[in-house]
Amino acid sequence: MEHAHGLHLPNSGHNRDDEASKMGMWLFLFTELLLFGGLFIVYMVYRMLNHEAFLLSSFELNVWLGTINTVVLLVSSMTIAMSITAIQKGNSAQSIRLLMTTVGLSLLFLVIKYFEWSSKIHHGLFPGMDYYNNLPKGEALFFFLYFMMTGLHALHIIIGGILIGVVAYRTKKGEVTSKKYTLTENAGLYWHLVDLIWIYLFPLFYLIH
Amino acid sequence: MKQNKDHSEEGTAHISSFRDHWSTLVTLLLLTIVTVVISVFGANLAALSVATALLIATVKVIVVAYYFMHLKYEKKIYTWLILLVVVLFAAFTILTALEYYNR
Repeated sequence: MEHAHGLHLPNSGHNRDDEASKMGMWLFLFTELLLFGGLFIVYMVYRMLNHEAFLLSSFELNVWLGTINTVVLLVSSMTIAMSITAIQKGNSAQSIRLLMTTVGLSLLFLVIKYFEWSSKIHHGLFPGMDYYNNLPKGEALFFFLYFMMTGLHALHIIIGGILIGVVAYRTKKGEVTSKKYTLTENAGLYWHLVDLIWIYLFPLFYLIH
Repeated sequence: MKQNKDHSEEGTAHISSFRDHWSTLVTLLLLTIVTVVISVFGANLAALSVATALLIATVKVIVVAYYFMHLKYEKKIYTWLILLVVVLFAAFTILTALEYYNR
């Protein structure tokens, strides 16, 4: 028995608990859900108080750019799910390609978001700008929430993209294998959460006319 | 005896095929098209479209969680925990809405 040497304590890093890692990730996702959940409740209340203004403001947003970004995120959710399939089957190279595709799609999302934000900022709709300051209260609230919630979401996209890049790097170094791929799974869970939040943000800001 | 604690109960982890992932994506894209079409071309159904849009979003979220996030193949504890969080959030939302309507 190797253990008899007594050099390695039971949890000196030689035993892993993949189930616990995954559970930890889910518990973290719950805190994220409640973070965004709180913002959705704020949105709900302000929308009830300023129904007409929210309706009017939502027409300012570009439905098509929003739709394209929805498609980009859905496709990226598929590519990261596929990268887990690939690593489970032991195909590291394919897993890395799919992870990098996901990173590429996250950048595409950010570029489209950049153009959307730029056009809004160009119109002076960013909180604090002169045009924004003179907006009726309801419309100002809509754009405040729009920048706040899509901004927080974009921050999650940036973090997710970096995380997935790290997973690809560690897969390349052989630290993620068909027997040890919890890192890929957890990055996937995080990325799907980012997608889930966008699935609600999209209709609430762009579609509900 | 296995030497090391490998992934998810020693190789019983379910591996979804690429084909499964494609089907999930197609389902999600179709739902996206439906919700955009209703919103853009059915604007006169205002009250309906809010409920419809949120309903479709919820269906999409369930599809993502069930297939992409692998809940279908995970232990039931995950589903129960998620339901707990959903109930908690629903309680916050409903209580806030009740407060608003009783003012």
